[in-house]
Amino acid sequence: MATTTATITLSSADLLSNELALSTTATLTLAGNSTGLTSAAGLSRTNFTNDPIQSKVIYRSDDATADGANKVYLKNLSTTATEYFTVYIDQEEMGRLYAGDWAFFPWSATSGTKETFIATIAGTWVAGESWEFDGVKVYAANTTVADIAAQIDAEEFPNWTTTRSGAAVTFVARKAQDAGTVVTATADIVIVQSGGSDATSVVSSAAMGTATESDIIVVPSVVTTMDLEHMLLKQ
Amino acid sequence: MATTTASITLTSSDLLTDELSLSATKTLHKAGSTVGLDQTTGMTKAYLTATTQVDIFPTLIEGSLAFKGKSSWVYISNESEDETEYVIIKVSGNVIGKLYAGDFLWMPWSMAEDADADNKHADIQLTPSVATGMWLQWCMINEGTEFPTSV
Repeated sequence: MATTTATITLSSADLLSNELALSTTATLTLAGNSTGLTSAAGLSRTNFTNDPIQSKVIYRSDDATADGANKVYLKNLSTTATEYFTVYIDQEEMGRLYAGDWAFFPWSATSGTKETFIATIAGTWVAGESWEFDGVKVYAANTTVADIAAQIDAEEFPNWTTTRSGAAVTFVARKAQDAGTVVTATADIVIVQSGGSDATSVVSSAAMGTATESDIIVVPSVVTTMDLEHMLLKQ
Repeated sequence: MATTTASITLTSSDLLTDELSLSATKTLHKAGSTVGLDQTTGMTKAYLTATTQVDIFPTLIEGSLAFKGKSSWVYISNESEDETEYVIIKVSGNVIGKLYAGDFLWMPWSMAEDADADNKHADIQLTPSVATGMWLQWCMINEGTEFPTSV
């Protein structure tokens, strides 16, 4: 178990008549217990130089455990007082980090749901026929549908993970998102048959995804270069 | 002009292979300037005894055109000593995260109106996880507040 502490100090001799001297230390633990956080997306530095200005997703909800005791650290490394980053959680504006400002806050990482479907290899296949989806093309090594499904399952898909049971390959999107109203696979799976074959791939148990609700999005205030330092301590 | 500084240190000798020892200090300035923030709500210490969602800055006008996007910093800490107790933090009705016992946050606040325009405005809201009583502290240090006109 790791022990990670965060200490904040707020101080001022002249904001109020009485001196402000606040110091709080938190030992970062998992949700609801005293076990220390054990994971982190280490300290990172992200450059923003885009004309026109473009936002970036600093952390996706899928990056951390939903409802976990995740903590986010952000710092604007700019030294120009007028330059700021606007921080959004999902679509809601949280606040602005001006030059040198830092923030440290909890993050629920509320994710959406991932699109999923099952592709069942069926019909009569001829060795050499191809099945293609998500930019990955598989050539049937033989005529056995379970073997072809195994070939598909063995591939690494850019946007999907897979598991297999017999001739059925279950696809789960890597990211939760609202892809629209049409199941991706229905439109995108391509089979190239040879003459006389009825090779097919039947899509079933499809469930649409839903958008995430708490991606952390940052928008710079200028098109010239700005750097953001950030770290995610996660459950 | 007041000089107020906010510092953080993050330390761990065993979270990563390399020791984590991060520090950041910032003097709090008005938006886009080097003029120090000079206003504060003062520290509130509250004992919340219901799981009802509350607005922690009810007396200011969120979404104020005068102060939207200006520099406002919010500190919230959960003073509970029961590790299972937490408070849910929302901004504009959107969940930011949960502060468990002993946790704190330090975040900028734009006072921007809810993008959904469903009348939540920019409220910062707390919802305790238990009704058995939780101590919380919060304050805001900012460059100005628009208060409602008395009727």
